[in-house]
Amino acid sequence: MTVTDTAPLKLNGRRHAPSRAGRSGGRGLLRHVRRYWQLWLMALPAMVFVAIFAYFPMYGLQLAFREFDFSAGLTGGDWVGLKYFRQFFDSAQFWTLMRNTVVISVTTVVVGFIAPIFLALLVNQVVGRRRKKFFQTVTYLPHFISIVVIVGMLQVFLSPTSGLITRVAQFFGATDVNYLGDTSTFVPVYVISEVWQHCGWNSIIYLAALASVDTQLYEAARIDGAGRMTIIRHIDFPALVPTMIVLLILNMGNVLNTGFEKIFLMQNPLNLGVSEVIATYVYKIGILSNQFSYATAIGLFNTMINFAFLVITNQIAKRVSNTSLW
Amino acid sequence: MRLKTLRLRTPGDIAFTVVLGLTCALLLFLTLYPIYFVVIASVSDPTLVATGGVSFWPRGISWFGYEQIFADNRIWTGYRNTILYTVVGTALNLAVTLPAAYALSRREFAPRKVLMLLFAFTMFFNGGLIPMYLLLRDLSLLDNWLVFVLPSAVNVYNLIIARAFFENSLPEELFEAATIDGANYFQFFIKMALPLSMAIISVIGLYYLVQHWNDFFTGLVFVRTYDKQPLQIVLRDILISNQAFAGGAGGAGATGGSYAQQYADQIKYGVIVVSTLPVIVLYPFLQRYFEKGVMIGSVKG
Amino acid sequence: MKRSVRRRTTAAVSVAAVAALMLGACSGGGENGGGGDGNTVHILVTKHALTGPMADMAWVSDLEEMADVTIVWEEISSDWDQKKSTMLAAGDIPDLIVGVNAITDADLVTFNGLFEDLSDDMDALPNVQGMFDAVPATEVMATQPDGEIFSVPSYRRFWPETTTRQYINQEWLDNLDLEVPTTWDELFDVLTAFKEEDANGNGDPNDEIPMDWAPPGNSGFGGFQATSLLSSLGMPISDGGSSTYFVEDGQVGSIFTDPRYRTVVEFLRECYAAGLISEEVMTQDYSTYQSVGRGNGDTATVGFSWGWTASDRFGPQLADQYTATAPLAAEGVDPSEVVWSYDDYYLNYGVNAITMSAQTDVHDAALRVIDAFYDQDMSLQVLWGDFGTNIEKTGDDSYTVLPPADGQTDPSTWKWTTTLADLGPGWIRDDIDVQLPADLDEAVTQAEPLAEALSHVDPVADVFPIQFFSLRSEDSSTISLNEANFASIAMQNWATWVTEGGVDTAWDAYLQELDAAGVNQNLEIYQRYYDDYVASLG
Repeated sequence: MTVTDTAPLKLNGRRHAPSRAGRSGGRGLLRHVRRYWQLWLMALPAMVFVAIFAYFPMYGLQLAFREFDFSAGLTGGDWVGLKYFRQFFDSAQFWTLMRNTVVISVTTVVVGFIAPIFLALLVNQVVGRRRKKFFQTVTYLPHFISIVVIVGMLQVFLSPTSGLITRVAQFFGATDVNYLGDTSTFVPVYVISEVWQHCGWNSIIYLAALASVDTQLYEAARIDGAGRMTIIRHIDFPALVPTMIVLLILNMGNVLNTGFEKIFLMQNPLNLGVSEVIATYVYKIGILSNQFSYATAIGLFNTMINFAFLVITNQIAKRVSNTSLW
Repeated sequence: MRLKTLRLRTPGDIAFTVVLGLTCALLLFLTLYPIYFVVIASVSDPTLVATGGVSFWPRGISWFGYEQIFADNRIWTGYRNTILYTVVGTALNLAVTLPAAYALSRREFAPRKVLMLLFAFTMFFNGGLIPMYLLLRDLSLLDNWLVFVLPSAVNVYNLIIARAFFENSLPEELFEAATIDGANYFQFFIKMALPLSMAIISVIGLYYLVQHWNDFFTGLVFVRTYDKQPLQIVLRDILISNQAFAGGAGGAGATGGSYAQQYADQIKYGVIVVSTLPVIVLYPFLQRYFEKGVMIGSVKG
Repeated sequence: MKRSVRRRTTAAVSVAAVAALMLGACSGGGENGGGGDGNTVHILVTKHALTGPMADMAWVSDLEEMADVTIVWEEISSDWDQKKSTMLAAGDIPDLIVGVNAITDADLVTFNGLFEDLSDDMDALPNVQGMFDAVPATEVMATQPDGEIFSVPSYRRFWPETTTRQYINQEWLDNLDLEVPTTWDELFDVLTAFKEEDANGNGDPNDEIPMDWAPPGNSGFGGFQATSLLSSLGMPISDGGSSTYFVEDGQVGSIFTDPRYRTVVEFLRECYAAGLISEEVMTQDYSTYQSVGRGNGDTATVGFSWGWTASDRFGPQLADQYTATAPLAAEGVDPSEVVWSYDDYYLNYGVNAITMSAQTDVHDAALRVIDAFYDQDMSLQVLWGDFGTNIEKTGDDSYTVLPPADGQTDPSTWKWTTTLADLGPGWIRDDIDVQLPADLDEAVTQAEPLAEALSHVDPVADVFPIQFFSLRSEDSSTISLNEANFASIAMQNWATWVTEGGVDTAWDAYLQELDAAGVNQNLEIYQRYYDDYVASLG
């Protein structure tokens, strides 16, 4: 290895704690920058892009606290404080919306979090490169089907008179159910189709993590006479844990997020009682009738709850597993 | 190595293999069938499709949907644009995301906690469409192809995943050894970190690529000249023009042209095939990076 | 693990790349700077998705000639709503925006100052003034509460008064030796026969769907839906009940809270329970609904339904099996009270068909374009297509709309493919003579059985004239917030009551719930606007 003109770096990064340098004001920061200028430089482009395209436009959030007044400019409307937040909390539908949103999103988050892990472990067990590749490709394909078509297919498969799934269910003794119109089947249909569509895609990240497992570990386990279940439990699964924790934290930031388009397309008057969620409500009042301030306020409320969940999960993860986003 | 995995050792292993095989077969059917359905629906009589008449083989075969899709010259412009945006966009994404992810994975990089928080913040809070529009206008990015590339240069979600990978999968001893040899961060990143992280790079690359490939909102809101529009917008326009009356023939005398109405669904399914095929073809090339042991093998080797 | 490390290669590669791209971004730039020569007019046009490029329309060059301008078109054929709000909020609009309701009344109120007030330019708009004089309703439609005119509507005159026609399968009736039903009771019996016998004669007595209607929205009704039965009880709805309001003898009411609505729900519940209504009626999407109506080859599957024309609803192959029928009477309702959905303002008028930017630097040229659109010949060409290929001018004031040139397309698709059609601005004069195209002819003919019921509707006292209201911003927001709340409650109950029953026990609580959600507040607001509208008619 050729020696370069950069001074060798201080080792032992794990215990080395230069964080105080960052906090002790300008001079400390300067020294930090001079010392770790390479790291700073590597992070810089991302910081610049985020500053320009994410932070700069954030002044638009003011709209949640102001009247939208076109002639006065985006941020020139009268300050109304929490008026629009209150309007949302007082709305006749508030609790219904919250309940529906949480039920749909939490179910999706939980099932959608677990399923890809199982799938990845399963794919990893398939013997034979070709079979494995084929299996993997097939399970990831549904991700590319557009929402309109997914909902169209649900319509066809679940039709109470001619649907394939309905017919199969009837064969197994299910009585007449209209899966598309029943309030008790809406969430399962939504979540199952969601998991079906994205499970393979979401398992890719876990497959990448499994790829980094040292093959010698498997060898050693074999020699010790471990069965395949034991290997999965003691080698594969632990390899996934760091990725799982990161994804879990990120997923928890979605507790109030539901896909808009799919729910909107799946809505019909029969299931409205469970399918009206915050996103569809905002669409109805905000986009369709120019309620910019109200829509921004609801969006901001939504965001704050989500962010709070992310922060809390992150703190818990930090304490429990020593893995965290920051 | 392969032989060893094949050899069944315990009765548990035999049971395991049987269960595994059955589960895989079931999963395969559950995913393959709907995809197969999309393909046969794209060439079947749409009336039969909508009324449940098509289940296992195409009926009333007609290529009308594909003819309509490919009769439109715009689709080739769309393909060209999308490929350009995807290639340039993904390259930029990786060039920006990976170094940042690496820097943020270094524990001695003190500001990383603050920076991570600031990055994560933008996953949730954004100023909305209107300030974004005004900003892009001021930067002359409206109706400019770079709008497909620059604003989406960093996806924080991918950044976090890449960082977690660098943090957890690169053995610290490796870095220590490299430093003893006098390597600096740049050198370590390019010579060691990147080659050892091909698995995560292909995942992140795939995420970005698909994000660009499916991006239709940018073109919709920020681009007004048609020959700059990506494939997704073109396909959507073809789809909508054939679905013309589906929203309710009740419109001002919009008496549904039976022709348009009837084939809308066929096009709907055909569009999926046309837009997804290239991405599917690409995937197996990335898969080799998910092979077991690809990383450590290269280190030890 | 010795690897030779080259020179200080840098992550700055990426920085350089970014810098290069940024530079590119700054020099890239947009091209639509706008013409300063006073003769180039930029027009954004919202077209129907089927419509071809503006460059293919011959009337466009006539328009340029008449107005002495060069037009640069920006053509939008999908997702306009999503593009619009950013465009308007950023103030980024071209000189003119063309397309019926491309700019809504709500936009005119929200984006005050963005659009040019034309009320002081009427001298430069003789054709528009002519339309206002000849068809006063258009002026009322265009005028804001404070007298401004931000946009000009269109008027097309030849459309029937209603969107929805009622059909029954005559062949099935003949097969089973039945008469066309005229009352609810008779309908019930006929539908029962459809269900129980093999009405379509294909050997399977179970594949007949006696009654079906268009998928209801989640926030209101619309054409081709079961709300048509409200007419049997004398409730004068318009646009199929899409607004959820109606006016009767000058009184604004809500469909959702009227006892007659409850009666219809009860009747439909009976039908549904007896298996006379498609099981999928509340959940199917539009394409399923259409496909089912088109049956299977020569075999029809639907007995009784509503549609625009028979060929549209049931497909050209089955259209002949169906006959258009008169509205049914409910028990105890005198035939003279039976009405039908009155949609004249919806079908023959187009609100906000053309709008002008207040910041335009080609003010006069833009006015000339607006006026040229309202020229007699131009209006016809915008509506049906070019002279020569789409219309033949047979005399000074007489015209014939030609059948599709390729002989395969249906007239409606032909029209929408070749011109702006119903979405364009224009004024079709009342005193000209036009030989209508086949599709419109069919719609007019099949509306004939409804004529008597429609004659019972007073166009002022019995029609909820939503097209004429220009709501103030606070009213508009109250109304839409309330609607978002009560409409979804009501639609949910509607669907549940029809498919599962329960209206009897739930009705009173339901009325209270709707009241709490603001339905009566909306009625009060609309009553005010309605009274003002009546007063403005003089």
